[in-house]
Amino acid sequence: MAPYTGIPLSPAELSYLHTSLSQHPPIRPDARSPTAFRPLIAETDILPAANGSARICFADGTEAIVGVKAEVEKTPSASSHSINSHSINGEVADEGVRGLGSGGVRDVEDDGMDVDGGEDGKQSSKGRDEWLEVAIDIPGMRDDDALPVFLSAMLTEALLADGALKDKLYINTRFHWRLYIDILLLSLPLSYPLPLLSLTTHLALLATRLPALVSEKDEDPLFNDDWEASTHLYPPTKDETARQKPPITLLVMSVGENILFDPSREELAVADAVVAISVTQSHTNTTGPDADADADADSPNPLHLIALRTIDPPSRLTAAGLPNSLNTSAGAGAGAASQSLSSVEVAVTREKDQGVSVWRPPRGGVKRAVLARMIKMVVQAGGVGEEVLGGLRGVEI
Amino acid sequence: MPLDTSTYALAHLRLDGRRWNELRRLHAQISTQAAADGSSYLEQGNTKVLCTVSGPQEQKGGRGGARDQGNEAKVDVEMNIAAFSGMDRKRRARSDKRVQEMQVTIASAFQSTLFTHLFPHSTITVTLHILSQDGSLLAACLNAATLALIDAGIPMSDYISSVTVASAPSSDQSLDEMDPLLDLNGLEEQELPFMTVGTCGRGPGGGEEKVMVLVMETKVQMARLEAMLSVGIDGCKQVRGILDGVVRSHGKRVLESKVS
Repeated sequence: MAPYTGIPLSPAELSYLHTSLSQHPPIRPDARSPTAFRPLIAETDILPAANGSARICFADGTEAIVGVKAEVEKTPSASSHSINSHSINGEVADEGVRGLGSGGVRDVEDDGMDVDGGEDGKQSSKGRDEWLEVAIDIPGMRDDDALPVFLSAMLTEALLADGALKDKLYINTRFHWRLYIDILLLSLPLSYPLPLLSLTTHLALLATRLPALVSEKDEDPLFNDDWEASTHLYPPTKDETARQKPPITLLVMSVGENILFDPSREELAVADAVVAISVTQSHTNTTGPDADADADADSPNPLHLIALRTIDPPSRLTAAGLPNSLNTSAGAGAGAASQSLSSVEVAVTREKDQGVSVWRPPRGGVKRAVLARMIKMVVQAGGVGEEVLGGLRGVEI
Repeated sequence: MPLDTSTYALAHLRLDGRRWNELRRLHAQISTQAAADGSSYLEQGNTKVLCTVSGPQEQKGGRGGARDQGNEAKVDVEMNIAAFSGMDRKRRARSDKRVQEMQVTIASAFQSTLFTHLFPHSTITVTLHILSQDGSLLAACLNAATLALIDAGIPMSDYISSVTVASAPSSDQSLDEMDPLLDLNGLEEQELPFMTVGTCGRGPGGGEEKVMVLVMETKVQMARLEAMLSVGIDGCKQVRGILDGVVRSHGKRVLESKVS
């Protein structure tokens, strides 16, 4: 009995799809190139009651709305925090429950990455992880189901690992902003909704504005009530490419040696490995003045990797096909011969046939070389990450 | 509560500058979502509702005895109030009593308006996403659901159009004089006794006119009720006209795109 996966494909269809995706170049069901994304519709600032909001609609009909709301909150241990600022031990204990300071997580091999992560780590001491709250609402699912919890953990991880966002929430030693990111998936999740949610969150954060602060230093915060004077969480710059941006998380899958971006539901059903890669642009202030000088107008700051997660692909739950030599129900010669086989022999024959003549669900993890290539394709200059950010730049904010 | 009746009495203008019988800007779109059977987006002032309809379809989930549902379709309403929809962020549990009450109200209103006998053993699921709320929530949901059900092509006897109406003390504060106010915003809703009226049909020549929904949670003097109701029914007719315009212009667009 085939386990129920919600994938309406037979082993034969899966095998066909897998074969066509392992060609060089791969042939995708919708004739896209491996790095092509599906077209999408995006708009920002759609909600009057939110600090920032965005809506993205993918061509397959999946749609998400993100609303960002900010509240001023009293920093709980205001006094201890100021003491901690000169005791290193206290600072480490303070640094978030999840331990996601921007310094520590960058141990993945990545040649396109700059080496000043340590500096970021020092600067990020002002913000705390719990100032950011991400909640995902998926129709037909409870809030504590695995999918929304896992997705929100992944998005939170990327936003926190960036380190820049939580620092922006710092007002003074006694007060801070608490940022609520509420993600609403409007349609049923047809494909894995991670890229949709991540891109929508990215746009919503870009559109987020906070009231301008008029009080000084450690006074009780007082804000300018003129919304026109409000400041962007990610301030726009004259040169859009240099603008600091929230991270994006992309879904990448591999079939054999091929790497495919933005997989659809059918493609995910035959994936060997699925990886969520979060990247962000390096901050302008961390690149030296000479780096700025030789940077072209069309080459923005290099991207670097901030978080990486492998995702259990749905293909593992698919039913394996039955080799013809073992097919007892076929009736003819081969079937009659196999009836005499013992269960051990049947198992051995199946194991030998593995993926040769019939479909079998993929096993094992992702190869290191493939993973390295995936990361490189996302972060390299002119790579997919830049292409996506470039595409989103076209959205009016 | 500090009702700004002073300004209303002076100029007979409400907080947002409307007269007593003026609706807020009502803007609606149909077929906003490709993945759903029917969908609509409705803005009533700053209240914004997105509605999707799926069905009629066999009930999913395979619960015990799910097949035997009698001879007519069941209308299921799911309401999801986004945490960012209000002024303060507030997550509402799905079991929130207010939300459940509104769900039941909407479901029962459509149960009797849709021709459910045409779809035995099936379920029509109406999902309402409230993106932004500023008064008249139930009314906006009813209007959005009407449009989405029309988009889904589910036969129904007529539009259900809905509006809120309040009773405001008049300028001279005398008891027998009052002004009904049409289509309340969030502030007015907090300060005035109000009710939500939903009607179906448009009277002579256009089918029988019926009040399908009448919800009132606040106290009001008995004598004021009749005037409120008549103003409300009148407002429902206005709303019906607007909804009808939306459906017609959408139909025209669909036809044009088919021809060319």
